[in-house]
Amino acid sequence: MDQFDAYLRKLADQEPFPVPEDYHGKVFAALSALEETKQRRPRRRAWMGWVAAMLALVVALPNLSPSAAAAMGEIPVLGAIVEIFTFRSYSFDDGHSSVDVEIPGLGGSPAAEEVSQDVEYYTEQIMTQFRADCETLGTGYQGLTVTPQVVTDSVDWFTLRIDVVETRASSYEYSSFYHIDKKTGNIMTLGDLFDEEADYQTVLADEVRRQMEDRVDQGYFPESLESIEPDQNFYWDDQGGLVLVFDEYKIAAGAAGMPEFVIDRSAWEPLLKA
Amino acid sequence: MTKTHLDKDTFCALVVREQDTMFRAAKAILRSDQDAEDAVQEAICSAFANREQLRETDRFRPWILRILTNKCYDLCRKRRPQIDLADVEEYLPAPETDLHERMTLWQAVLALGEDLRLPVTLFYYEGLSIREIAGILELSEAAVKTRLSRARGRLRELLTEN
Repeated sequence: MDQFDAYLRKLADQEPFPVPEDYHGKVFAALSALEETKQRRPRRRAWMGWVAAMLALVVALPNLSPSAAAAMGEIPVLGAIVEIFTFRSYSFDDGHSSVDVEIPGLGGSPAAEEVSQDVEYYTEQIMTQFRADCETLGTGYQGLTVTPQVVTDSVDWFTLRIDVVETRASSYEYSSFYHIDKKTGNIMTLGDLFDEEADYQTVLADEVRRQMEDRVDQGYFPESLESIEPDQNFYWDDQGGLVLVFDEYKIAAGAAGMPEFVIDRSAWEPLLKA
Repeated sequence: MTKTHLDKDTFCALVVREQDTMFRAAKAILRSDQDAEDAVQEAICSAFANREQLRETDRFRPWILRILTNKCYDLCRKRRPQIDLADVEEYLPAPETDLHERMTLWQAVLALGEDLRLPVTLFYYEGLSIREIAGILELSEAAVKTRLSRARGRLRELLTEN
């Protein structure tokens, strides 16, 4: 090997090479989008066949007879259809970092499809940021888990919960909730439940602080709760009760996990939209 | 010959190991960060879909670089460049650099003609052998040696001009 050849090898080895800042995140996202097996596809085709048949029925009935159209209005499921399927899942563990992500897909109605897109974007942002953090932090084990859960799927309401756990020296948990009012087909937030004139934010915040006072010895910090926002995480429990959910560390020590507060019906029911 | 079955975890780990190599190779052909990223993503999908074709895990790097190279050339055909730098490279001035700074090797590589950039990148940056480069580019080993020789001549001019 001549001298110039050796010189070129030395330059290639020593000079820093510019890679775009978000390149590794894009590779990570591309890998996370890979589907391992084809088994999921037949299931999706079956779902689409069922929904297509259902939608065809919805479209056909009103043209058949006025009485059929009137009867259709009494069928609650036709307000909004929500079907959920596993869109893609990704797991990876090389001993330095681990990822276990399940990204659900929703369909069957415009609201469901919009939520599906929001969830996909949200989880991809999380994975891209996680990958960037791994690159920045270097050594040390880092983990990411994203787990979807259908909390409510009733005649009137659908709630999807996405729980995220990020692990470095310790773990950090947070969640996002997505709600669809099946009667109207609308995507809902906490704020959308209440009358515009109602001061639900103060009422709910006061109630949560009151419950936190009872849990101070469990590491709760009532003074850390500034307000309840319109996009506050919540769900309906089995008895139709309103449950508010907070991310880890937001209002309590880590030992409290993601705190939840059941709000008495008497506090919020009078404030609902008519 | 028995073919390797790569599970997804192994495939992903191998891609992560080669991701910078893939970007450099794609950039050498396409010269644009965005195009290079697009080509890498397409190559990942294509490689995963066809991973049964990989005979041995040890051959992953040249195998995926070959897929990537084809994706890059597909992209080039879509872009339909008006001229090939190889036709005019001897007339081109070197890229502007600060008079007080030497041109980096990568800057000089990007100033080479299209047919020279990838062999140089694979040989000097990735340490691949002549035989491996020939396999990736589907050229004879003699052709690869000729291109490297031409590239060295031009690089000598570019790197000593400053």
